[in-house]
Amino acid sequence: MSMRGNEDEKLDALFLAYRDACPEPEASANFMPTLWARIDSRQTFLFSFRRMANAFVTAAVALSIALGVYMSIPRNNAGSSYTGTYLEALAEANPLDTPEIVGPVRLVDLTGR
Amino acid sequence: MLVDFELIKRAQNRDSAAFNEVVLAYRKRILGTITRLIARSEDVEDVAQEVFLRLYFSLDQLRTPEVFEPWLYRLTVNAAFDYLRKQRRRQEFRMSDLSEQQVLMADAMAGSKVEHEEQLKKKVRESVDSLLGAVSEADRILLMLKEVEGLSLKELEKVYKVNENALKVRLFRARQRVLKAFGAAGKKEGTG
Repeated sequence: MSMRGNEDEKLDALFLAYRDACPEPEASANFMPTLWARIDSRQTFLFSFRRMANAFVTAAVALSIALGVYMSIPRNNAGSSYTGTYLEALAEANPLDTPEIVGPVRLVDLTGR
Repeated sequence: MLVDFELIKRAQNRDSAAFNEVVLAYRKRILGTITRLIARSEDVEDVAQEVFLRLYFSLDQLRTPEVFEPWLYRLTVNAAFDYLRKQRRRQEFRMSDLSEQQVLMADAMAGSKVEHEEQLKKKVRESVDSLLGAVSEADRILLMLKEVEGLSLKELEKVYKVNENALKVRLFRARQRVLKAFGAAGKKEGTG
């Protein structure tokens, strides 16, 4: 147990020595100019990206509006031969007085005699 | 705090002069921390600039100037971690150097030659880097912040945004692994 404590203390001392052993670097003369150049460069990039994104959003909105307007214009159906509804078309195709549907069923047909 | 809240608020409002002052106030500390975290002196300035670059573009997200320092530490840790992840080639240190370093440490107590001290410092750095090789990159950074940078658990809680107990467990496990490596190096010295 005491050995472990001893090693702990040694390790703490080593960490302390490490802090002192590491050099305290001084910034070079170019530190601030380079930093501002990097900031400007990033800003320019962000600005052009934002401008591009804005242009894209504007174009998308304009396209949506144009598509909406186009879809809302009533179609000219004068040229089409069909004007009725689906039910009307169905009724026309199978009129109730069609013999195949409403005609009497003969027993002969069913029994085969 | 190395700067007052008013200066931070001005920097938040995109005041270049205020931002310059903030950078000048924290530059040395950040450079020192990064030096210890990445252990590659040639890239320290580049990583420090990345920290301040991130600071510039995220300063408006800082809600209260009171948490500025832990927040700056978080940016520093993230930038260092990103750098290390990119590098992925951590220097391999030989564990056998440890014993030699400990001998040198004892020798240095007697002598005070500058050259000898420099040699000793180098050995200490190598020893600690070697020991910290026993833990993951993330745990290495956490241990550095706690043991070398001297951040308290409360401060680390703000930096990592995790609760104190989780941090304690993680620190304990990381430290145990380092201690194990330290003990193994000691044994090697004893037998060697």
